[in-house]
Formats: sequence, C-alpha cells, structure tokens
Amino acid sequence: MAVSNFSTKDLVSGGIFVVAGAYFALEALNYEVGTPFRMGPGFMPLFLGSVLAGLGLAVAASGWKKPDTEERLTPSWRGIVLIIGVVIFFGATIRGLGFVPVVLVSSFVAALSSRLNSPLFSILLAITLTVMCTLIFVVGLGMSVPWFGPWLGM
Amino acid sequence: MKKTVITLATGALLAGLAFAGSAFAQDYPTKPITVVVPFSAGGPTDTVARLVAEVMSKDLGQQVVVQNVGGAGGTLGAGQVATAPNDGYTLLLHHIGMSTAPTLYRSLPYDPTKDFAPIGLITSVPMTLVARKDFEPTTLAELMDYIKANGENVTYAHAGIGSASQLCGMLLMDALDTQMTTVPYQGAGPAMTDIIGGQIDMICDQSTNTTSQIKAGEVKAYGVTTPERLANLPDLPTTKEGGLDLEIGVWHGLYAPAGTDAAIITKLETALQAALADETVISRFAELGTVPVTADQATPAALAETLTSQIALWKGVIEKAGVYAD
Amino acid sequence: MDIIASLGLGFSVALDPMNILYCFIGVLLGTLVGVLPGIGPTATIAMLLPITFSLSPAGALIMLAGIYYGAQYGGSTTAILINLPGESSSAVTAIDGYQMAKQGRAGPALATAALGSFFAGTVGTLLLAFFAPPLARAALNFGAPEYFALIVLGLLVSIALAHGSILKALAMIVLGLLLGMVGQDIYTGQPRFTFGIRELYSGLNFVSVAVGIFGVAEILRNLENEKGRDVMVKAVKNLWLTKDDFKRIAAPVVRGTVLGSVLGILPGGGHILASFASYSAEKRLSKHPEEFGHGAIEGVAGPESANNAAAQTSFIPLMTLGIPAHPVMALMVGAFILQGITPGPNVINDQPALFWGIIASMWIGNVMLVLLNLPLIGLWVKMLSIPYRALFPAIVLFACIGCYSINQNIYDVYAIGFFGVVGYVLMRFGCEPAPLLLGFVLGPLLEEHLRRAMIISRGDPTVFITRPISATLLGLAVLAVVIAVLPSIRKKRKEVFVEED
Repeated sequence: MAVSNFSTKDLVSGGIFVVAGAYFALEALNYEVGTPFRMGPGFMPLFLGSVLAGLGLAVAASGWKKPDTEERLTPSWRGIVLIIGVVIFFGATIRGLGFVPVVLVSSFVAALSSRLNSPLFSILLAITLTVMCTLIFVVGLGMSVPWFGPWLGM
Repeated sequence: MKKTVITLATGALLAGLAFAGSAFAQDYPTKPITVVVPFSAGGPTDTVARLVAEVMSKDLGQQVVVQNVGGAGGTLGAGQVATAPNDGYTLLLHHIGMSTAPTLYRSLPYDPTKDFAPIGLITSVPMTLVARKDFEPTTLAELMDYIKANGENVTYAHAGIGSASQLCGMLLMDALDTQMTTVPYQGAGPAMTDIIGGQIDMICDQSTNTTSQIKAGEVKAYGVTTPERLANLPDLPTTKEGGLDLEIGVWHGLYAPAGTDAAIITKLETALQAALADETVISRFAELGTVPVTADQATPAALAETLTSQIALWKGVIEKAGVYAD
Repeated sequence: MDIIASLGLGFSVALDPMNILYCFIGVLLGTLVGVLPGIGPTATIAMLLPITFSLSPAGALIMLAGIYYGAQYGGSTTAILINLPGESSSAVTAIDGYQMAKQGRAGPALATAALGSFFAGTVGTLLLAFFAPPLARAALNFGAPEYFALIVLGLLVSIALAHGSILKALAMIVLGLLLGMVGQDIYTGQPRFTFGIRELYSGLNFVSVAVGIFGVAEILRNLENEKGRDVMVKAVKNLWLTKDDFKRIAAPVVRGTVLGSVLGILPGGGHILASFASYSAEKRLSKHPEEFGHGAIEGVAGPESANNAAAQTSFIPLMTLGIPAHPVMALMVGAFILQGITPGPNVINDQPALFWGIIASMWIGNVMLVLLNLPLIGLWVKMLSIPYRALFPAIVLFACIGCYSINQNIYDVYAIGFFGVVGYVLMRFGCEPAPLLLGFVLGPLLEEHLRRAMIISRGDPTVFITRPISATLLGLAVLAVVIAVLPSIRKKRKEVFVEED
C-alpha cells in the first residue's frame, strides 16, 4: 500500500488542517471581503483559511517516507462517549434540573467512564463531589443557579 | 362523564394555581431577585444596575442580585429575560440599546414592546463630544465647520456596533449632513485610550467615561448632548447652545418579562422610586455625571412611552445610515 | 513628588489592620479561585462587587486587587498539577509544569512558580510606584499599527512553543487564529462561523477552549488502555528546589520579569503576550532547548514571572490614566465608581492615600501570597496521591461548572466537549495544543488592529513601516524568522550526508 510509506500521523493531521482551512475559507466567501481600506469580515478568514489549507498539504507531504514507528493505543470509546456525554448533559440540563441533580448525575457518569471504577465507588464519589461542589460554588462563591431547577417543579 | 371530571379537575387546578399566583404576589418577594444586565460587569450600565439593586434590596427585604449576561450587543441577555418565568424574580436592566436592537438586528428573537412589562426609567446619562488634545478646532462651532470641511478625513471612534457612541455618531453625521471615517473599538475603554493617545480624532461618549479625562485636560471637550449643562462640568456648553441639533441621552430602564403580575410590578416600581431618591444613589450618579429620573418618570407608563418613541426615532436614523448588526 | 513620603503614606494605609485583613482575604480568595479551573478572577470580582459596597474605598479596592493578582498565583497550580489552565498565561505554564509533575517534580515546579511570581510581583510593584505616570504616557504611543506589529512579532517568535514539527505548530497557530474569529465581527457586526447560534456571537470562550483542549483531551488520553499503565505521576521526589534548580531559574525569572513588566503596561493586549514571549525567549536562549516540553524548569520560571509582572504593571494604565487594559481592569473601574471615585489621571493627586495605599498593599499582598503558597505546596502535591480515577471526574465537573458560571452560557459548556475531542484527535496525530491557544487569543487582536490601522491610514499599508515603533517591531520579526530558519538550513545541509536516524 502506498500509504505505508507515509506517516499516518502527518497524513491525518494534514488532512484535518486542509478540511478546517477549506471550511473557514469557503464560509468566509459568504461574508464581504472588502477593500484594503475597509477590510470586510471575510478578509482575514479567507486569507488564513487558505494559508491553513496550504500548511495542511505541507504537513501531509512532510510525512513522506517517514512511516510511524511508535504504536498507538486504542482510544477508550467508552471514555469518549461518557465524558463528552456528561459535558453535553450538563449544558443541556443545568438550567432546567438545577445544580444538585445535574452535578450528581454528571459526576456519577463521569466516574463510570473509567473501567477501574465500580458502580458503588462511582455513587460514593458522585455524592462526595456533589456536596463539595455545592459548598464551593453555590454556597461559597454565591453562583446564581438554583439548587433544584424548574423542571422538578421547585 | 370522564371528560367532566377532567375538566373540573383542570379547572380546580387552574383556580388553585391562580390563587397560588396571587398569594405569591402578596408575599412577593420571598427569594432573591435577579436583575440581568446584558453587558459585562464593570461597564457604566452595570454600575448603574449595582447602585440601584443595592438600595432596592433594602426596600424589598430580599437580595437583588445583578447578573451579567453579555454578548450580541445586549440582545443575548434581553432575550434570556424575555423567555424567563414571569414571576418577578428575573428582571432586565437595559439601556437605550433596547430601542435600537429591533432595527439593528433584523433577526431579533424577541419584541421589546411585546415581550416585556416595563417597570420604570432609571436615569439618562448625558453624552459629551470630545477629541484628542491637539485636535485643531477649539469650540463647538469650529468643530462643526471642521467636520463639514474635512468629512471623511476626520476619524470618529465608537465602542462597537449598537453602542451609545455609535448612535451618537450617527446623529452627529446626520445633523451635519456629512460622513466621517468611523472606527469601531471593543468597548469604550480602548476607544478612549486611542483618543488620549492621539491615535484617533474624536468620539461622542457617555459622561461616565469622559468626565475625569475632561477635568484632567487629557481630552478636548466641545459640548454635552443634554438640554442643560452638567453640574460637574459647568463650563461645558450644551450642543443646543452651540447651535448643533443633537440631543441624546443614554436612558436606562427596568423591565420584567411580559405577563408579570400587576401587583408585583407595582411593588418593584415603588422600590425603584425609593432607590432613585436614595442619597447614596444620587451622589454616586452625580459622580457619573448624571441624575436619577424624577418619580413620575420611574413608572411603567413613562418607560413604555419612551421605549415606543425611541424605537420609532432610531428606526429612521439607523435605516438612513444603513448600519446593521447582522 | 517625594516618592519616599508617598510610599510612607501608602504603607500607613496598607498596614492598617483592617486593610491587611482585606488584603489577606483578597489574596486568599484569589488563590482559591485561581486554583479552581474555570472560575477566574473576572467572575469572582463580579460576584464580590456587592460585598465591597460596605467597605471603605481603600479596603474594597485592596481586596479586589488582591483577588486579581492572587488568582495569577493560584492559576498556575491547576495547570501544573492537572494540566488544566484557567487563563491564557497559565496555558504556557502547563506545557512544562505538567510534565514536571508527571516526573514527580510537582513540588519544585510549584515552588518555582511561587518564587518567580514573588520576585516579578515585587519588581512590578516598584515600577508602578516609581515610574507609573511616564510609563503610561509611553504606552500611549502604541496605536493600531504598533499593536499589529507586536502581535506579528509575538506569533513568529512563538513558533518555538512547539517541541515537535514546526510546520504543525504553524498550522495549529493559524487554526487558533481562525477559531478566534468565531463570533460577531466588531467592525460590521456580521456574525461569522456561528451557525446562527446567538450565544456564539461573542465568540468562543477562552476558558472553554483551554479547558477542553488541555484538560479534557488529557483525560481522554489517560483513559486509553487504563489497565496497561499507570497514568498518574511517579512518586514525588522532593518538594523544594535543588541548588542546581536555583541556578537554572535565576536568569529566566529576571528575563521573564522584564518582558512581562514591559508588555503589561501596554493597554491594547500586551499582557497576553507576556508568558508566551517569555517561554519562547527561554527556549531560544537555553543550552538545552530539547528539554522544553518535557519538563524544563526554565519553562515554568520564565512565563510565571512574566505573567505576574504583567499582572502588576497592567494596573499602570488604570491607576494613572483611568484606562482599563483588560476585562478585569474594567471591573476595577466599576469598583472605583461604586466607591464614588472616578478613575482617571487625577486619582493620584486627588486621592493620594488611596493610590499609594493600593500600591503598597500590592507588595504586602505579594509577601502574603508567597507565605501562603509555599506551605500549600505540600498539600497540593498530596492531592496528586488521590487516585486518578477519582480525580478526573472532579476535573470534568469543575470544568463544566466553572465555564458555565462565567457567563451562564451553556454553549461555553458544549465548547468544552467539542474542544476536548478536537484536542484529543489532534494530540493523537502529533499536534500540540499550546500554539493553537496562542493563535486563539491573538487572532481577534491581530485582525482588530490590522483593520483599524488600515482604516486610520485610509488604506495605506506603508503605515506599518513609516511609524518607527512599528517598523522596529516588524524588523525584529523578520530577524526572528531569519534566525529560526538559518540553523535549520544548515542542519538540512548536514542531514544530506547523514542517514535517517
């Protein structure tokens, strides 16, 4: 395979840069580019997007004849899904459910994303963290967020 | 049969809720009240809010907490209050931007007149025309001639899209029937920095930001945009005296979400009026170069009227200038 | 005016028992919120403003200032211990500080940060006391072209941030610059790359990006193949600096202090460059540049000093001209006004006791901070003995809560998740996050000043070379590139004769 002659790392990261650069540059075409006197909102992103795409190509090309030597670990899909899930859950429900329930559930699920944590340990950890966070942020720092939110009818 | 039961039950429930609602209004407030300021903390609007909130807390017997929800020229915070529960525990303190947003933003997710219940006006902060120290004109009349003669060669700073200084600039160019080169900044602070540093010619900004610089001689002042002269800058003529048809004040108002119980509005109105008569508030406002409105202006009717007329005024000015924020 | 008499007046105010107490409360709170990721000095000062109503003006302002520079001390703690920087300055500290922690040298890293910060804070305060007005005047010579030139110089010099491929570092900087453009264009109001989401109009939140790309990405990486390796630090070797360490940090601390002091005075965003610039300088000057990124103590000493020096000198434009240099200073303006004092050029003459009192309290605050932080090092290092599997859920939670509390904006929380994944993916493919963050903080400034310079010059690009300061800075930028490129050209020539390693 031709790719075996390439560094996968460089190829993929170069690809990401090309795609990101292309996105910013193309999206910038929807905005006014303007004149040197009054540059429009599209000027910088168009320029930088093109530069990024160019750099991406260069990064990919730099991997030529430098196949990766180190072995990479498999990603923990469970970790990725649960951690990112927790972040999204937190954002989506903090206004509705309120501080205490959201922190309790979030810390429980976050703890479960490690295979080393048993459900019991996760529950204990969640309770500890909830008490700690509520004390620090809501009581101590006076963060303006309800303990229990409107969705719970309180 | 079943249907009737459900109807009855619903009716009873609704009645209960309504009763509960009025009971709430009687006891209001039973928990801290949040006043959303749609700008970052530390700015002039935030300062006005904190001064008023502090005194209102004493009157209402509950903490009135200022919460800063900045972003999108004040429309983010306003939009948040528009959809907040109308129980009187989430209020909005907004300035003149409340009336310009419907024209500046063509896709505004709320309607300032329909989605809010006005409580009262708070203050109207005067604006001042200032320029860098070594700017040629020395009087307002000379300034007007200079701008007319030099047009786009004059650089005018403003604190960003939808800011009071931008609005004042639009009015100024409109009154002089000319165009200057406008240079936006991220807030009034950086704009003043460049005026003091002589990097840019002039700005029309709230007296809050300019008074101390005028007094120290860091900037040249030409006029104040109120009908009367300012108490702490008695030598500064008004624009009217100088023959410039430019009058603008950055008025601030307090709002609740639409549909808030009338009894609650009245309580808030009373607390607001009491706050505006408070000694500390008056003296701190004076420090900002402004005065609280009179009690008859701190009313829902007065704010509603100001809002409606200002929306109409700015619609004309902004559309003529062709400046939009989205 | 007689400086000694003024300072005497200042100390008489600052040494008032109540003011000492407020100063202590301030630096203590500052340290605590600095340690908590997400919640930064801005949020804390905003939350505490109402409380300061009831204090005397001097007490209130001393306490609020203490929170600010206290947070600069504390901010490095989480960056070093758990790779979670709360501010742009501590992002640089995280690069080598976290590596040191992983090698069991968290103690020396934290001690370096504290000592460097103390030295820098003292120098910064002295500068403030002796030269504030003339320095502020000098800073006013910086207009849009000068800032643009300064940022270009900063970006080009900072390529040294990378310890791997320079090409990738450049690409990461540019990607960061582009991410910095998300939000409403300040010149036209045009929303860019916002997908129609109004919450994104004011741009991506720095803390979200930093916490995602450093903290969450690191967690995701540590969750890989958990059973196969020990993710946490090696046993803690020592808490204090060795003689050799002291030798290594002395020069970087001094250089960082100078760089930071100068950049901090510039109100248009100079303080942001301080720690990045210091890191690059140290790497360039070091005899062992290969150690950078793998736990070089100079990489902690320089940036931490620069950052704290800048934190002190960024008070100069505020105290002498009433100009806020950044959001925290804008909050301080608000605090002044709430106390019935309008900050401006006259404060120094109208309120000498207040002016000099605040300055004197800053030095006292710095002493307190070093006394407070050195004993805490033992405690922080013990925290590392908490098993990682219990620590990381707390990190995720703190990150979410902290970011949400800044603006109550849920998109700031979603951004943590998004940048966590982005950072993880890029990390897996050999790209480091620090250059991206640098680009992210400088992107909006670069665009803002470039466009403003062009508007004011009416479209004439020669403005950048006809103004002496800007021309000098751009000249230095060209020089930096030449110096960076020359050795690699030489190396390439040699490499032709060497087989691949």
